Amino acid sequence: MSEGSKPLIQNTKCECGHQNPPGTVLCEACGKPLTKEAEAQQILEMRYDGVARRSQKANPGFIDKVWNFFSSVKVAIYLILLTLIGSSLGTILPQESTFLNIDPSVYYKEEYGQLGHIYYLLGLSHTYTSWWFVLLLVMIGASLVICSLDRVLPLYKALSRQRIPKHMSFLTRQRVVYQGTVEQDGAEWVERVKPLIKKKGYRVRTDGGTLLAEKQRFSRWGPYVLHIGLIIFLLAVLGRNLPGLHMDEHMAFPEGEPVHIKNTSYYLMNDGFKVEFYTEEDMPNEFKGKGKVLPKKFETEAILYVCESNCNTPGQEPQLKEVTRHNIEVNHPLNYKGLKAYQFDYDLTPILRTVSPMLIDSKTGEQYGKIDLSIKDPVREYKAGDYTLTLTQTFTDFGLGDDGKPVNLSPNPNAPAFLFLIKGPNLPADGIQYFYFPKQVDKERFQQDAINAQLAGGENLVTLDVLSMDDVDFAESTTYLNIRVDKAMPFIWVGAFIGMIGLVMGFYFHHRRIWLRVDDGTLTLGAHTNKNWFGLRREVAAILNQMNIEVDEKSLENNRGSQA
Amino acid sequence: MNLIDFSGDAFVVSFLLYCASFIMYAIAVMGRRFRKREPEAHLAKWGKIAFVTASIGLIGHLLYFFTRWAGSGHVPVSNMYEFMSFLSMAIMIAFLVLYFIYKKSLLGLFALPLVILIMAYAAVFPQEVQPLIPSLQSYWLGIHVTLAALGDAFFAVGFIAGLMHLLRTVNFTATDKGARREQRWLELCMFAIVVLLGFILSVYSFRTAGYEAVFNQTQIDPKTETSKIVKVEYNMPPIVAPYQSETESMQSFLGMKSPLFEAPSWMHGVNAGRKLNTVIWSLVSGIILYGLLRLFIRRPIAKFIQPALNKLNPDDLDEISYRAIAIGFPVFTLGGLIFAMIWAEIAWGRFWGWDPKEVWALITWLFYSVYLHLRLSRGWQGKYSSWLSVIGFIVVMFTLVGVNLIIAGLHSYAGTD
Repeated sequence: MSEGSKPLIQNTKCECGHQNPPGTVLCEACGKPLTKEAEAQQILEMRYDGVARRSQKANPGFIDKVWNFFSSVKVAIYLILLTLIGSSLGTILPQESTFLNIDPSVYYKEEYGQLGHIYYLLGLSHTYTSWWFVLLLVMIGASLVICSLDRVLPLYKALSRQRIPKHMSFLTRQRVVYQGTVEQDGAEWVERVKPLIKKKGYRVRTDGGTLLAEKQRFSRWGPYVLHIGLIIFLLAVLGRNLPGLHMDEHMAFPEGEPVHIKNTSYYLMNDGFKVEFYTEEDMPNEFKGKGKVLPKKFETEAILYVCESNCNTPGQEPQLKEVTRHNIEVNHPLNYKGLKAYQFDYDLTPILRTVSPMLIDSKTGEQYGKIDLSIKDPVREYKAGDYTLTLTQTFTDFGLGDDGKPVNLSPNPNAPAFLFLIKGPNLPADGIQYFYFPKQVDKERFQQDAINAQLAGGENLVTLDVLSMDDVDFAESTTYLNIRVDKAMPFIWVGAFIGMIGLVMGFYFHHRRIWLRVDDGTLTLGAHTNKNWFGLRREVAAILNQMNIEVDEKSLENNRGSQA
Repeated sequence: MNLIDFSGDAFVVSFLLYCASFIMYAIAVMGRRFRKREPEAHLAKWGKIAFVTASIGLIGHLLYFFTRWAGSGHVPVSNMYEFMSFLSMAIMIAFLVLYFIYKKSLLGLFALPLVILIMAYAAVFPQEVQPLIPSLQSYWLGIHVTLAALGDAFFAVGFIAGLMHLLRTVNFTATDKGARREQRWLELCMFAIVVLLGFILSVYSFRTAGYEAVFNQTQIDPKTETSKIVKVEYNMPPIVAPYQSETESMQSFLGMKSPLFEAPSWMHGVNAGRKLNTVIWSLVSGIILYGLLRLFIRRPIAKFIQPALNKLNPDDLDEISYRAIAIGFPVFTLGGLIFAMIWAEIAWGRFWGWDPKEVWALITWLFYSVYLHLRLSRGWQGKYSSWLSVIGFIVVMFTLVGVNLIIAGLHSYAGTD
């Protein structure tokens, strides 16, 4: 109400002789209302004790204007409201980030029709990362800093320099007021009441026939402590996205082989994954017999290694050292020095790891020797008896292109295939080309034998074949883990913790002040709190009753200002 | 008798005690003008009896909660039935806290009906114990959900006191534009409460009657352009049939043998048709109920209630409303946001993911922070502040119920469809 309205001529000297800064509503010294608005109030507006804020400068420059803009609580409220509305818009349809692999420019149209497409075009499908939303957060941050600084410093000064005698019009316009007669001399009466007020936990100061009692002033700093916490929190949220502070990867871990975690020296191995489901009898009746399955537990036995040498040398086995093991479950992630691994998904399809086929003479059936072929990391050369097999080409997902030539369809090991150059006795001097498909299904699908016969000039001289299931090694399952590093997290928690302390200070404690003065046998008492007037009235009534002044709690209420 | 059954009985007993307490509050207020009675003494006496009854009801409610916890092996806040039961219990606790600060037992005249409505709403959902899926298997379930609900419960008490403040202060004799608008909005709040009652009554009536209708709905997947048939069961007579559906079976209701119309095409979700049908039934029964009430009391409900509150000081109500919100705000911040973030970090690996429920918890928090700023820095007290507490409660209820029914996401409870 009184904010922003300044009289043209600033005569800021109070009748008590105190020189107040421009914009002061209540005299810093005696509390006398200085502005017209304050003078017209039946009950004084006690916000920030009526001190002038920094933003109420006489001739604002550019920086002052920016400062003034962000120092306004009104602006802060608008910013919060805009953020509120903006965030609610983002919940109308699922955000892009909820899907792992979609093309939003077609997805929203297909799934939600024209309105969905408009939603996408407006940028609402990624509301929370849009420039305007981030800008709102930044502006709220600025407002938090400036609003707080603008008020906390003058308020701190005002509260630490309180004078005890207050102007009559300050006392009688408080919300809790008592006026009556006392028999005694003022100073004596004040000395008598002093210990009674002290007993209620107040710090009491007196000055002749006047008294100031105050308690729990620290609760006034609650909002500012909260704002500091929020600023730290916001900075951490915005700073998270700086490079190097944040990693968020979804990775597949087939059972039994260490997988390198990108951009780190860590390897993680899935040493066994299991999933459990609730049995039919654990299920509630409404699920029974409906073929519903309810998972009970997902668990990855994880071993984390750190690479000590040969880490990035191709063709050399990296030297790994185990650093920790942990059974990763939902709600129980692995956490090693800030590197976290969360259970995310799983796949129970077995994956071929190594095969050990035998090189066989196609005519005689003579077995020359076995090779150990790793599907993922094959080496360049294999020896089988007197024969050498040189790997010339590998395919993870074999297919034939439009021109009939072999192509790799994807990096996923769906249809692995290997092209060897085999040299040795009874073979042409420069060797023969040989295609090997480890999976039986691919062997038939792509007619391995026919291709090889063609490559060798019409006849299969040698064959690579797996003789028993012992020569095949599978990974039983694959677990998908979400690997994360988030170095800003400690700041997020510190911010939240500080904010929480501020909230408790501000909301569960109440700053209470009682002023009183005795002038020629008339006692005038005024009291103020920022919340729980009920409790304050009760306290004041109890104190007065102990001084043999009979008052009802209710009658202390200054009804002249009641708008109800 | 096992613990779960006992717990169910305790739930019913506490529900009945709350109802009895509400009736006694009504007697306390209405009976002041009974023959030869000292109005003040009557109010104090019956107010006390009602309050004691409600407190015993709360003991029953706590028994329900802890025996169900013991019987099921997890904190019973994991589905809609359990959550709503807990919320109503939390509102009782918040009411008690405010009672011990301000000693205004009459707050119960409004707190109890709210508690009763929420409990009845809880019982609409399946009451069986459900085993926990892996993501819920954490002690944070208990800590986060209960504390967030307790914060919301204080907001609910803030709403109750705010609504009472409005009922106490709105001027029903004035005819100027502003006063008219206020009267209308207040009456709309009353109407909304009656519609909620209508919803609960219609669910229970048709459930008792064992009504059932079954539809086969054709659903088309836009990506693959394949269609499948889904069975949709109705427990209320179908005014609206699901979009693109055929009636498999339908009991006739008051001569109605087939659905009156079909849901619009944009409501093609599996349960959208049924939800729309439920909304229509709630509105229909709410309007009938409201009409009957108006016929009976011959004036707007708000105007009818006003005299009951004339002993209460509006400033006290305003302060109770603000105080409840001031107590609830830190509790909600801790339970609904900070603990939620800690759990999300442990379970999902990110402390914040803009899931609709998370966003709406943030919106609730932002809304009440606007409330606090307006009140503390801009001096919005009394009327404005009370209206904000009413709107705030609507935001809270949308976060708790609306998000699950309409938006869902990661926080969807079983049984909400």
